[in-house]
Amino acid sequence: MSAAEATAPPAPAPARERIRIPVSGMTCAACQARVQRALAQQPGVSDASVNLMMETAAVTYDPGVATPEQLVSAIRDTGYGAELPGDALTPIEEQEARDRAQQAELRALSWRAAASGAAVVLAWAAAMLLPHAAATPYVLLALALAVMLGAGRHIYARALTALTHHSADMNTLVAAGTGAAFVYSLIATFAPRVFTDNGVAPDLYYESVIIIIALVLAGNVMESRAKRRTSGALRALADLQPSTARVVRGDAEVDVPVADVRAGDVLLVRPGERVPVDGEIVSGRSAVDESMLTGESMPVEKAAGDRVIGATINRTGAFRYRATTIGADSVLSRIVRLMRDAQSSRAPIQALADKVSGVFVPVVISLSIVSFVVWFVVAHAAGGTAGSAFVRAFAVAVTVLIIACPCAMGLAVPTAVMVATGRGAELGVLIKGGEALQRVGDVTTVVLDKTGTITEGSPAVTDVVVAPGSSRSGDELLALAASLESHSEHPLGEAIVRAAAGRSLARTAVESFESVTGRGATGVVDGVALAVGNAALMTEWSVSVSPLAERAGALATEGKTTVYVAANGALAGVIAIADPIRDSSRAAVARLHAMGLHVLMLTGDEPRTAERIAREAGVERVVAGVLPEGKLAEIARLQREGAVVAMVGDGINDAPALAQADVGMAMGTGAAIAAEAGDVVLMRSDLGAAAQAIALSRQTMRTMKQNLFWAFVYNVIGIPVAAGVLYPAFGILLTPVIASVAMAFSSFSVVTNSLRLKGARLS
Amino acid sequence: MTALDWVVIAGGLASIAIVNWYFFVAGRRRAR
Repeated sequence: MSAAEATAPPAPAPARERIRIPVSGMTCAACQARVQRALAQQPGVSDASVNLMMETAAVTYDPGVATPEQLVSAIRDTGYGAELPGDALTPIEEQEARDRAQQAELRALSWRAAASGAAVVLAWAAAMLLPHAAATPYVLLALALAVMLGAGRHIYARALTALTHHSADMNTLVAAGTGAAFVYSLIATFAPRVFTDNGVAPDLYYESVIIIIALVLAGNVMESRAKRRTSGALRALADLQPSTARVVRGDAEVDVPVADVRAGDVLLVRPGERVPVDGEIVSGRSAVDESMLTGESMPVEKAAGDRVIGATINRTGAFRYRATTIGADSVLSRIVRLMRDAQSSRAPIQALADKVSGVFVPVVISLSIVSFVVWFVVAHAAGGTAGSAFVRAFAVAVTVLIIACPCAMGLAVPTAVMVATGRGAELGVLIKGGEALQRVGDVTTVVLDKTGTITEGSPAVTDVVVAPGSSRSGDELLALAASLESHSEHPLGEAIVRAAAGRSLARTAVESFESVTGRGATGVVDGVALAVGNAALMTEWSVSVSPLAERAGALATEGKTTVYVAANGALAGVIAIADPIRDSSRAAVARLHAMGLHVLMLTGDEPRTAERIAREAGVERVVAGVLPEGKLAEIARLQREGAVVAMVGDGINDAPALAQADVGMAMGTGAAIAAEAGDVVLMRSDLGAAAQAIALSRQTMRTMKQNLFWAFVYNVIGIPVAAGVLYPAFGILLTPVIASVAMAFSSFSVVTNSLRLKGARLS
Repeated sequence: MTALDWVVIAGGLASIAIVNWYFFVAGRRRAR
């Protein structure tokens, strides 16, 4: 190695930026595949994910090599519309804009479908009532032209655009099929002798053209409606944002649009109103319903100093609060952004569908040509005239073009991802994308953190034991200790104060207070000299703990921390404090076991406490006394043994373990909701949410596999049947009209199957 | 098999070749 090499600094890792570019004009999986391929081929692009339903391209690129303008022009070169994303919009405003656009598109599509439906009725009436009138072919021709150039114009326009860009999608197949049928009929109308001279009746396919376009449009309407429903959860979240806020300006209260609220403004919220933006309560108290964001059904008590989240509902009292985070940084905005990114992400299972969609249309056109040739040669050899062989071969070729449906394949996975992430959000489970969804479904072992996951996460008084011979009651003892501890900031002291407040015990005046580091606190309360602390403090004060030694020992065996209380030099009692397990934990662990999962608890706590908690919660294995690195090593060991590990912990302390696990589930409430750590964020402080996340993912994987199976099987069966493989044995041959019904049905059934996830039983 | 049959087969093969060349070969070359 040369000296220069030895001293050369390591090459800096290329910078990475991510951009979401709105893309318009994509109609099918093939369009999506094309845009994605074009982006991925751009220099500096490390990842490109195009979502057909969200109509966006999410691109990760090196800003030193590529610019957003280059990415936009790369998309435009493929024949689709793209523009630089406007940065003035918050995720909520973006969602509202997309919703309006979707609604307008659905309305336009419905009109077109209705108009083509009317044309079907007119064509049918003309053909039935005046079958032999000289004018009938011209009436049908006029109707077909009107439908092709009116209601169905976009089908041909899109097919043409795609074609000029060497691309093809479902529109290409429909345009080629109906276009061929139309030209054939046109010849039969104006030059019937071409057919009659060959001994073939000059059949007209105008009605077929009209019916096929009407059916394609009706299918588009149903699909568009169903697609809108899949994004319902995201829309519901965006709708939670109130439009106005009541800002306190001097002595006056002014209603202003939420967009005009600035950080630092003081706002007033009355009972029954929605909290407009995030902030901190300045005065007043109330119970706030946060269920729409956390799934937690009980209203949460809030007082001065507590945080409130925008979009939650104020239930009982009025309060004033100071706005903190607004606009794109608000909790609601972050949740909407997180969900939107999740919904537009791709699940690995889609890779196969993507590969097939990319080559689907050219392969189908080739198959259609093969069908034509085979049918022509066979019909001709069987004694038919060249003309009659041509007519039959032509009908089969058109049917093959019409029945093939790449849409069902393109919709199979994304619709399931959208419905599942939406359903998750309703349950207070944010799953960050298709990949995470797929991994959660594969989990075999669930590792739980103890503090704050299985337990409440804050110590609480569990027992108050009065010393033999003491004249004080338990409550009196607790009130005395709480009075002294109200000056302490120690977590155990705070637990005693909370317990006294919970029992509505009045605190008395503290005459003096001294904190004794590592031992407890001493002072004078209501004329009584108090010492509250551990055995070492009692020894220092020459107070014998022997009257309660046995009881204190028993409490310690249960994993509880004991705090002695001495009054005027005599032992008054002992208070036991523990971090109690959440009410829901035991049922949730049982649920995880019932789902066939191994459950393991990892904690830095000492073994005795850990084992008691594990026993109470029903956890089968405990690894106690481990440091954060130890948690990491234990998870890695499980993974080496072949387990797919989900780690459930709090997003901040357990971040390394969450990252090491195959699936990190961060449990957070309130402001921690949008925690960056973890593949899944459990917005409820309830282990049951983890079980629901796994159940939802398993169900979603099943739905995706069903969708892919049906989409593939539909084409694998439909195309050969349309080509006439059943004709020699059974005489079955489809018509173009039946093919168009089957095609519309296949994509509709895939979307409907995904929608079933909305009502799936998860508990 | 008549001459017409052979013409149709040749025409079919040529069409398939053109379709696949247009979408796969020409399309990819243009994207580069």
